[in-house]
Parts: sequence; structure tokens; C-alpha cells
Amino acid sequence: MKSQSRISTLVWLLFALLICVESLRLPLGSWRDPGAGFLPLGAGIFLGILSVIAFFQTGPQKGEKVQRSRWSKGRWKSIVLILLALCGYSIFLDFLGFLLTTFFLLILLFRFVEPQPWKVAIGGSLLASVLSYVVFEIWLKTQLPPGVLGF
Amino acid sequence: MTLEFFSNLYMAFSVAIQPTNLFFCFVGVLIGTLIGVLPGIGPVATISLLLPSTFQITPVSALIMLAGIYYGAMYGGSTTSILVNIPGEAASVVTCLDGYQMARKGRAGPALGISAFGSFIAGSLATLILMLIAPPLANIALKFGPPEYFTLMFLGLTVLTYLASGSMIRALMMACVGIFLGTIGTDTISGLERFTYHSYTLMDGMGLVPVIMGLFGISEVLLNIDEQSTRREIYQAKLSNLLPNREDWRMAILPILRGGLIGFFLGILPGGGAVIASFGAYAMEKRISKNPERFGQGAIEGVASPESANNAASQGAFIPLLTLGIPANVVMAILLGALLIHGMKPGPLLMKQHPDLFWGVIGSMYLGNAMLLVLNLPLIGIWVKILKIPYPILFPLIILFCLIGCYSLNNNVYEILIMILFGMVGFLMKKFNYEGAPLILAFVLSPLMENALRQSLIMSHGSFTIFFTRPIALVFFIVAIFLLVSPLIPGLKKVPKGGDID
Repeated sequence: MKSQSRISTLVWLLFALLICVESLRLPLGSWRDPGAGFLPLGAGIFLGILSVIAFFQTGPQKGEKVQRSRWSKGRWKSIVLILLALCGYSIFLDFLGFLLTTFFLLILLFRFVEPQPWKVAIGGSLLASVLSYVVFEIWLKTQLPPGVLGF
Repeated sequence: MTLEFFSNLYMAFSVAIQPTNLFFCFVGVLIGTLIGVLPGIGPVATISLLLPSTFQITPVSALIMLAGIYYGAMYGGSTTSILVNIPGEAASVVTCLDGYQMARKGRAGPALGISAFGSFIAGSLATLILMLIAPPLANIALKFGPPEYFTLMFLGLTVLTYLASGSMIRALMMACVGIFLGTIGTDTISGLERFTYHSYTLMDGMGLVPVIMGLFGISEVLLNIDEQSTRREIYQAKLSNLLPNREDWRMAILPILRGGLIGFFLGILPGGGAVIASFGAYAMEKRISKNPERFGQGAIEGVASPESANNAASQGAFIPLLTLGIPANVVMAILLGALLIHGMKPGPLLMKQHPDLFWGVIGSMYLGNAMLLVLNLPLIGIWVKILKIPYPILFPLIILFCLIGCYSLNNNVYEILIMILFGMVGFLMKKFNYEGAPLILAFVLSPLMENALRQSLIMSHGSFTIFFTRPIALVFFIVAIFLLVSPLIPGLKKVPKGGDID
């Protein structure tokens, strides 16, 4: 717990360093006329200082929720599955089109994350993808990608 | 003054009563109640989700609908608190204490009834005060220059981090991250690209919708899946007699009025909002009660007061947005984004340049509150049925709405990737107790703050004394610094809860 909390502050410290390094590549200007890198550099410096303070304030703070375990056993697989499915969705959306990609994504989510019977998974996916297509594409005229099959 | 008030009132209703606006007000409060009822999806995610669909309608109708979602969610949030002991919204957390106890004693009906009536009375009261306060405040705001704006925004961020439910240091860290994210894109003053790495998607800056949907929508789904908080038990008693009796009214009417007033003024406070208002109102009622031991055991005042306060606060929060152009909380930050996308610039001139928008929204609040009262009492049975939808069925649909909302904004799949990235970051932030609210508020305020800071320094030829020599800026600055250092002062206790809006 304590070490994980510290690691999180170190991640932010690294991020702060990255912000500072990248900001220094931009013109900082002067006090009279601050440049494009002025505010991000300031934000990076403050983030770095605060990360160092947070690093030494390890453990749960006053009023902070105390968790028995930060990670639920075995649930991380579902989280990774959802994230991978979403990445896959964004990759195939333009190619396969909205209807097909959405249908496959929903089947995956219904069936494999919190497993539902196939009947519910297929029926629910079909209904949700067609309904959302009708509402957003046909009714609200949102331009959803048609894909290679044209729908 | 009186004539002006009635002329404004007439204008408010003449705009709000137009069939299109009336329709969008109804849609807004209906959706708001629905998402208020459903734990796991809040007004922040919903407003972001529906933001792209408002591009087809007029800015007035859009703002009326989005505002309706916000205060509608405050109504709906109490239903789950009372019946399931799970707050539909963070602002209804405190309602669980007495609401659920009332339900267990067979008084779920009056608890739901008084929360709906209380919300209506306090909401209407808040709208009335909003009408009275907004015009003079907008006139004062006309005197604000860049230093005043910068220090006010700095104060807003400080208040939000001060009220954060966890560590103030971590909340400040998130504010710094938000400020950095807000600088991504083309610099408006020099025209230089910052942190875009030649990405076309990032040239216009990081999109507000993908960031919010990731941080508040996707991350919430991931957290619910991870913590298996997907199963809930619903209070099974038959709901009857929703109307509170005479004794209930006698005990609740003053808490409703007090809750409404406290809620409204805490709602105005930058960084405050409905959460802190509901806690504040509950604490005050308990303190002044002759029988404080009844609180937590099913006292009707413990439901009436916080529910009135959160509704009034959601309306009070419009004051800084509409008069100063500064969002008081995350929802207002999204509404600011929505107005900017629609080509409107919220601020002191909004009332003069777009009176139809300003007064139309206020008029719609009166009507929206009435609609909510009519909607809520007969529909409570339906909300209970919706609550029974299992989360395994609900979460793919929430994800689907996030995807559509995110993509349809610019028809850009890279924005979906940004949403996924922030979903993952938001999930980890929640796991490690970093709050999303300061990040989002800082992200939205960042471009405004940067412009105000740079203009101030140009005005003062590089001297920071400009923030201390102008009285209004000095007051804002002193209050902000006091809040920042107050945790270090022995004997000064930090306010225990609040901050996160969604």
C-alpha cells in the first residue's frame, strides 16, 4: 500500500520532469512578455515540488479513504479486456463501420466481462447497435463511419 | 428595480415557454433524473455525452437542456439514497443517513416525497435569488480586468483543492496536471504549437469531451467492474403514500428553507457546489436541532435539508458562470465549454449581448423544477424498476454512449484513443486517491488563466505587484493564500468532505 502510493507520486514526478524538459524547448519569453512555455513550465515545476512533498507524506492522508486492498483479485483481466476491446474498436471503426464494430464490441463486453448467456449477449448487442444507429445516424444525423460495407 | 425585475421575469418566461425550449427542458430534466437514479453515471459524463447532440440546436435550447440534466440529477440522486442506500450522486451521499433509515421504518414514501417537494421549493427559491443577484454582479464584473480574473480563477482552483475529500497536496497536483493539459495545442497569443508533436488532433488542444468521458465515464465503469460493485439490493417494501403528512411538513419546512439558502450561497462559491452544500446543510440542521440524536435514525429533516441544499446549489453555481464567465465546478466547466463551442462567451456581457440565453435559462429553471416535481412523484415506481437493471447489462451501454459521444464530436477515432487513455488514467487516479475534479476545472480554466496572467504581466511591465495593488485582486489573492496555508495553521480544521462533483 505504502510503496504503491509512493510509486504513484514518483510517476507524477517523472511526468513533471517531462513537462519541464518539453516546456524548455518552447520560448519562455520574459516577465514583461511571457512566452508559450511560461505556464506549462510553471505547472511542471509546481507538479514536481508537490510530488516530492506527496512522496514524503506516504500512507493515507487524513480524511482519505482507506482501502483494504487496492486491487481486486482476478478482476484486472476484465479491466485489460475492456481496454483492449476499446482500442480494437477505435482501430477497426473506420474500416468495418459503426454497426459491425459496435455489434462485435458489445458481444465481447456482454459475454466475456460479466458473462451473460449467448442469447442475451447476441440479442442485446444487436438491439443496442441497431437502436443507437437509428437514433444517432438516422434521427440525430450524426455522421457515423459507414465502413467498407457501407453501413 | 421592481419594474426591471418583472420585465426580466417576462423575458425569462417568454423564452422558456417556447415549444422547442420547453421540449428540451423536459428532455433535460428527464435524462437528469434518470442518470441521477442510476449509480455509476453522473451529470458530468452525461452532459459530455450529450454535448455533441446539442450542436444541431440553438445555444439557448442546448443550455436549457444541459442545465436541466444537472439539476434534474440532484432530484434523481435521492431516490437511490433512500431506497438502496447507494447515492445516485455524490451530492446525495448524506441523504442515505436518514433517508434509508426512513425507508427501513416503512416511510420510504414520505422520504421520497419530502425530498422532491424540498428540491422544488429550494430550487424555485434559488432561481429567484439568482434573478435578483445576477444583474448587479454582472455590473460589478464589468470592472474586472485581467488581474482580477486571474486571481479569481486562482481562488476557484484553491477552494476546490481545499474542499477535496482527500489530500490537498494531491488535489493541487491534479490542478497542475489540468493546467498543463490545458496548454496543449496552438498558443493563442504567439500562434506556436505546444506539445502537439505534429498531431492534427492535438492542434486545437486536447478535447474537453474525450478527457471528461475518460476520467468520469470509462474510469467509473472500470472501477465498478474492478470492485464488483455491480450487484445491489433494492428495498422491497411497497411504495405508498408519497405525500408527507402535516407533522412531516411542520418538521421539514424550515430545514428546506435553510437548506435552500445555504445551498445557494455555497453553490456560488467557486470550487464549492452541491456536495459541500448538502453536507453543510445537514451538519447545520443537526447542530441546531433540539434532538440531534434523531439524526441518522430516520429524521425527516435529515432528508429535507440536504436535498434542498444540493438542488439550490446546482442553481447557485450558474451565477459565476453566467456573470463572470468562470465555472464554479466541473459541470459548469463543461457548460462553459459548451457555450464556447456554440460561439457564446460567458461573462458580464452575456446578459447584454444574449439576454435571451441568460433569461431563457433562468426561466427554464422555474419550469424545470415544476416539471421535476410532476415527473418525480408519479414516476418513482418506474425509477425503482430502472434501478433493477443489472450492471452487467448497463455497463456496455454506458461504454457505447461514451464512444458515440466522443467520436461524433469531430468524427475522429484518435479522440476515442484519448478517451481510453484518460479512462485508464482516471481509473488509476481513483485507485490511488487522486481526484478528477481539480484536474478538469484547471484544464478548462487553464487557457483563460494563461491569457489573464500574460495580459496582467504585460500591463504591469513584468511586475507581479499588479496582483497586490488592485483591491479586488488583492482580496481574492489573500483568501486563496489563506486557504493554501490554512492546513499548516494549528487549530484550523479542514472541511471534512466535498469537492468531487460527479
